[in-house]
Amino acid sequence: MLSTKLQVISKRALHLSSKVLAAKPKDPTAINPSEASHFSDLASSWWDETGSQRILHKMNLLRMDFINKTIKTSIPLNKDITDPEKMVFIPGWSFNNLLPDDVSSAIQKEIDDSVRLNSQKLQLKCLDVGCGGGILSECLARLPMVSSVKGIDMTKNVIKVAKKHMKLDPSLENKLEYKMMSLEHIPKTEMFDVVTMMELLEHVDYPATVLKQALSHVAPGGYLFLSTINRDLISWFTTIFMGEHILNIVPVGTHTYSKYIKQSEIKGFMDQLKDKFKVVDVKGCAYFPAVGWFFTGVQNMGNYMMAIRRIK
Amino acid sequence: MLVRRFMATSVKPAVSKTGSTTLSDILIVGAGPAGLTLASAIKNSPVLQDLKCMLVESSRITEDMNDYYASPPKYYSNRCVSITPATIDYLKKIGTWNFIKEERIQNYDYIKTYDGLSGAAMDFDAPSMGTLIENYNLQAAAYERVLQLNEEQPENKLVIKDGNKVTHIATDSETGCPVVKLASEEKIRTRLLIGCDGGRSPVRKFAQIPSRGWAYNRWGIVGTLKYKDTGFRSPTGWQRFLPTGPLAQLPMPDDYLSIVWSVPPELAMIVSGLTDDQFVLMLNAASRLTQDELEVLYKLARDKPEQFEKEAKWRLDMFNAKLTTESEQQYPQEIESIVPKSRGRFPLKLSHADDYVDERIALVGDAAHTTHPLAGQGLNMGQADIQCLVKTLETARERGLDYGTKFALDPYFSSRYPVNNATLGVVDKIHKIYGTDFAPIVCARSLGVNILNNLPFIKDLMVGQVSHRELEKR
Repeated sequence: MLSTKLQVISKRALHLSSKVLAAKPKDPTAINPSEASHFSDLASSWWDETGSQRILHKMNLLRMDFINKTIKTSIPLNKDITDPEKMVFIPGWSFNNLLPDDVSSAIQKEIDDSVRLNSQKLQLKCLDVGCGGGILSECLARLPMVSSVKGIDMTKNVIKVAKKHMKLDPSLENKLEYKMMSLEHIPKTEMFDVVTMMELLEHVDYPATVLKQALSHVAPGGYLFLSTINRDLISWFTTIFMGEHILNIVPVGTHTYSKYIKQSEIKGFMDQLKDKFKVVDVKGCAYFPAVGWFFTGVQNMGNYMMAIRRIK
Repeated sequence: MLVRRFMATSVKPAVSKTGSTTLSDILIVGAGPAGLTLASAIKNSPVLQDLKCMLVESSRITEDMNDYYASPPKYYSNRCVSITPATIDYLKKIGTWNFIKEERIQNYDYIKTYDGLSGAAMDFDAPSMGTLIENYNLQAAAYERVLQLNEEQPENKLVIKDGNKVTHIATDSETGCPVVKLASEEKIRTRLLIGCDGGRSPVRKFAQIPSRGWAYNRWGIVGTLKYKDTGFRSPTGWQRFLPTGPLAQLPMPDDYLSIVWSVPPELAMIVSGLTDDQFVLMLNAASRLTQDELEVLYKLARDKPEQFEKEAKWRLDMFNAKLTTESEQQYPQEIESIVPKSRGRFPLKLSHADDYVDERIALVGDAAHTTHPLAGQGLNMGQADIQCLVKTLETARERGLDYGTKFALDPYFSSRYPVNNATLGVVDKIHKIYGTDFAPIVCARSLGVNILNNLPFIKDLMVGQVSHRELEKR
């Protein structure tokens, strides 16, 4: 039992490190059929924030914080401003604790205003791969810095749910569209400023191929955000043993241990593309009942989120 | 010509009969201090100000506010509240404080409480630990701030529909959004409905959120009065705990004061029957004389009002004659007169809603909780609600959430409910401990108060609690 598991694991590591695809299937970016039927069953409860997907809704808050922070902290605040009166000066030290309240809050306000204005000018084009019922897609589409979001998923029922749910918010109408398709069917030339693949790599059979495909759609200067689960005992204990079997927070069968990917494996993979892409941030995160999701500061354990930026 | 006239009259009622449906992002019901402050806070928030926001109110609030702001009445209104430094800080932050008429507010550094049975006293002091302000002053400032923000954002004004009662609230079957019908037949469909509509909140009833609590079987008698000018005294809030309920005297500028006297219904009847002069005498008696003497006066006031005046004067003269310059400081100054027609009363009760939020619903202030006025916390709890709700909405929007969902609003409830519940509980216990003349409890509370009064660090902690200093620092 253990040895077969190890085999699977090593096979999987091979997929990632070698990029070699033995017996290339028809569509390597497609979801595994058994996974597809699992998500199809979940479709009806996808938007029930108090139901089985509550933990996913909660996690989405952390994803949005991660995406917001990554993008907003990279915006140069003083760009294009020559008038010294208008320049926003950000002290290199923690001004909140050292300056009087009035001064530090005034500085903070100027920074916030500047970030808000500059981020709104970005007008990002986003692709949400494996959008499911659209929890992340909708949130992305509502951001003032986003101009359009395309959500794709391979499960017919969840796309149906997503399309129905977006009608509840008229502000989404012109910014968001859903397509039932795989990543491979996105035109090769179509580029996006933000590509997201949240909790996706642990549900596909050929993660390296999927990741490469996704990266090929990231425009220069754009980002790929992904989140998945480290393959370690802690993850197995939290996500499968506790999450699925003991606490029933998520439905049984949501996760497959052997499909988990260590963040170091993705980093190793990204090393081969280092002249084009850079891993800008990795954050470990964990869920604790009654507390919710939080960033842990440990990248190698449990769930994690990763931001990859295309540098040229 | 005739045809045209006929058409003109026949078309018009048809439109108003069906009523048009207006769409809004946030609809606030109630333009009290909570509703107007919330409106100005939302319009002031860079993250929220692009939302289409409306405010509905049954009274003619815009006229009233314009009148008050342009030419405030000569006398202070009897509807006054004590606000904490934390509340003032927030009002400053959202730019509302600039419009406060500062000549009509009074800061006070001292609160002196004393026991009506044992005389055990406790003094609190902190710089500007409380500020007494008319409700109108707060409302008018928030209203002026809204007008200013409207001018700054002419493309996205806050719409105030006043003189317009909410007649019906229903749920739109297609979108699940509440549809509010006004007396003018207009319908407003909103993505978030916020009830700032007071203790008997129609919004809370529509959302079917249960509210628990009990009536205190007390009336709060309010009024605006004036002290006799007996030389300078630092502005001080006084509270005497009588077994019938506390009598609070809070300072306004120029020797004016505002009172809240909680009394049982029988006593409320007696006090309401008094003339203005008799009422002043009764208040002076209630702040000085012993409970036994007061019982005599209450009876006289009920049965032989003509004798009451003489008796009360005689007893007060006796009392005052015995006062030394030093012991005089243990009591508030004598009240000289009352502002005509400034007396009012309202029933006191404790209530707390089981939830402050539901799908597309949020409750703020009295709609979510009402409390006994003895600690002056009611309005301040509402202001803290507003601060938290605005923060919650901002976070929700920054995360791209649909801000009207219960999921997005939940943090507001989970952070405010425990704090409010604790405040309601403490105020309720104080009311109960002081609402008795049972000797052991009187002894115990007096002993406790005498000990506490000599422990400055514990008093500082208590002052911090009532003025929300911690909240401020957080």
